[in-house]
Amino acid sequence: MKSIPKLIRRFVGIMMTSIILLIVINIIFYISIFWKYTTHDSAWDIADKAAKSIHLTDNGYALSDEIVGELKKRNVWGILIDDNTHEVIWHTEKLPNNIPKQYTLWDISDLSRGYVEGYPTFTGKTENGLLVLGYPKDSYWKLIHASWNYDFIANLPKYVFFALCVNIFLMFIIYVITNSRLLRSIKPITNGIKDLSSGEPVHIEEKGVLSELATNINKTSKILQDKTEKLNKKETARANWIAGVSHDIRTPLSMIMGYASQLETAQGITEEERKKASIIVKQSDRIKSLINNLNLASKLEYNMQPLMMKQENIVAIIRQVVVDFINMEIDEKFSFKWDTDENLFVCDIILDKDLLKRAVINLIQNSINHNDNGCTIYVSVYEDNNDFIICVEDSGIGVSEEQIVKLNKTPHYMVCDNNTTEQRHGLGLLIVKQVISNHNGKVLIDHSKYGGFKTLLIIPKSTCINSK
Amino acid sequence: MGNEYLKNKIIMLVDDEQDLLDMVVSILEEDGFHNIYTAKSVEQAIVLAESCHPNFAILDIMLPDGNGFDLMKKLKGNNDYPILFLTARGEDDDRFKGFGLGADDYVVKPFSPKELLFRIMAILRRSYKEENQLVQLRDSQIDFDRAEIIKNNERIPLTAKEHDILSVLYRNAGRIVTMDVLCEAAWGDNPFSYENSLMAHIRRIREKIELNPSCPISLVTVKRLGYKLIVERT
Repeated sequence: MKSIPKLIRRFVGIMMTSIILLIVINIIFYISIFWKYTTHDSAWDIADKAAKSIHLTDNGYALSDEIVGELKKRNVWGILIDDNTHEVIWHTEKLPNNIPKQYTLWDISDLSRGYVEGYPTFTGKTENGLLVLGYPKDSYWKLIHASWNYDFIANLPKYVFFALCVNIFLMFIIYVITNSRLLRSIKPITNGIKDLSSGEPVHIEEKGVLSELATNINKTSKILQDKTEKLNKKETARANWIAGVSHDIRTPLSMIMGYASQLETAQGITEEERKKASIIVKQSDRIKSLINNLNLASKLEYNMQPLMMKQENIVAIIRQVVVDFINMEIDEKFSFKWDTDENLFVCDIILDKDLLKRAVINLIQNSINHNDNGCTIYVSVYEDNNDFIICVEDSGIGVSEEQIVKLNKTPHYMVCDNNTTEQRHGLGLLIVKQVISNHNGKVLIDHSKYGGFKTLLIIPKSTCINSK
Repeated sequence: MGNEYLKNKIIMLVDDEQDLLDMVVSILEEDGFHNIYTAKSVEQAIVLAESCHPNFAILDIMLPDGNGFDLMKKLKGNNDYPILFLTARGEDDDRFKGFGLGADDYVVKPFSPKELLFRIMAILRRSYKEENQLVQLRDSQIDFDRAEIIKNNERIPLTAKEHDILSVLYRNAGRIVTMDVLCEAAWGDNPFSYENSLMAHIRRIREKIELNPSCPISLVTVKRLGYKLIVERT
């Protein structure tokens, strides 16, 4: 399976992107939270401002109105501790009762770091003393012993980076292990599906996470195999039926042909009778080639004709076909012309000799059958890049443009699945097409420059064996 | 063609259908054969073969009490004579089985009398050569046994290759034989092109058999296709 490494690559890519995305999202999230809680006036700022705004009036110390309002809004109390006496010399109106009025140095150090009676406290420096603001109990959480080793802080970025790398690496390892396990269990299934598509029987062991899938594939395979077998049986039956019928016709037809031929040359019969006998001979010949073609066409169609692919000299084969026709001395009306380049003497190619011969015989026979007034039949073999081309053409009556298109495109009624009784081209041409397609070639029908019909059989030089 | 002696050969016909037997007999008789025996089953054929000593047998493959292949094995076990299968079964495996076991040829029904007679004559000619029989050409005679040409009362020897080429041409006398077949006969199934050598041999054969080799009468060229040997009827 070529697609598995691709699959892994894509999965890993997706995973890496999602990890990076996750980290970025996290950082953005933390920054925004931090922002939210730190951008507003911090408690230390307010303490500082309050310390700056405290001043001595006739009635003692007082804060600016703005700060008073601010403190009230937040429900904050404040005290001023004298530098010398360590006593509270001023406090806000609302002051919890349990706040001490006298402080030792330890108390002060403690409250500047932490709490007074559970109230988080913040300090500011004034001219005469220390201003202490006490916030509501649940408003702040203070780190009392906040101190870190210097190296720790200095190396923190390195540690964070290292931790990140380790995390990503671990994630990757975990991912690869789990995925390879999944892929391992997928592999027989993908192989099974591949085999299914090529029509082979499949059996996958039904275990692991994907056992259900395996079961279904096994079932599908069985159904497919059953169907193919049924179809094959049907096709075999059909081909056998055709073979049987043509077999049964052979013996009686031999007798018709034999006696008619004798009559044709018999003495003591009138010219009229001789003509009739020769018509019988000719027509029985047609029946003979019809049953031969029918048999072969059905076998080729249902893949029952074993292909005998061998390296052969295509020029010699076609030359023999032409010579056989000339040797038959069919009729003076028909003449043959071998148009192959003299220098093209040996063209070895892998092919089924008998079938190819049959294809060319059929083409020549077609030219003879369709030209009652006679014609010249031109046969040639030539090379064209990667193909060998066999060309059979004649100087006969030819066919219309419309028929050429039809002959090239429309299937024969025997291989046509539409319900049609329209007369199509004969079995001869069907066999030609079947044989050439077995050789991975192409059949092209066209007008001949000699005025009649032209057929090109194009066979690739590198014919791979296409046998069943 | 000087093959009249072949018409005296004893021919045994085996087929289960009387009508077909009658027809083949009439074809053979019309062509001049007169020692023809028929049988309708394997059993009859074996009995018949013992009494008539055939020189040639034509067998159907499907017989009521066995098949033609087995019959051929039994017949060949006693005496060696050529066998031709005549059958309605056109399948290729039969053809190969037949040749593999030593059948000489195979004719599929339906056949034309002309085709059947040609095949029979070809096999007989190949199997029974007349002692010292000379093939009559327009200007000379071929003595295949001694590999010589007799022209103007002069004996000209043939080389082995010339003999091979002439034999193939003679077996197909009156018909075109392709250059490919002649090359194969002389040099075997070789991928190399012997076209030019063949032309040289043909020229030398003509010098031996023709009075005017540049204007051949007996060994004619069919342009780019092959050659044809024309034998005079005696």
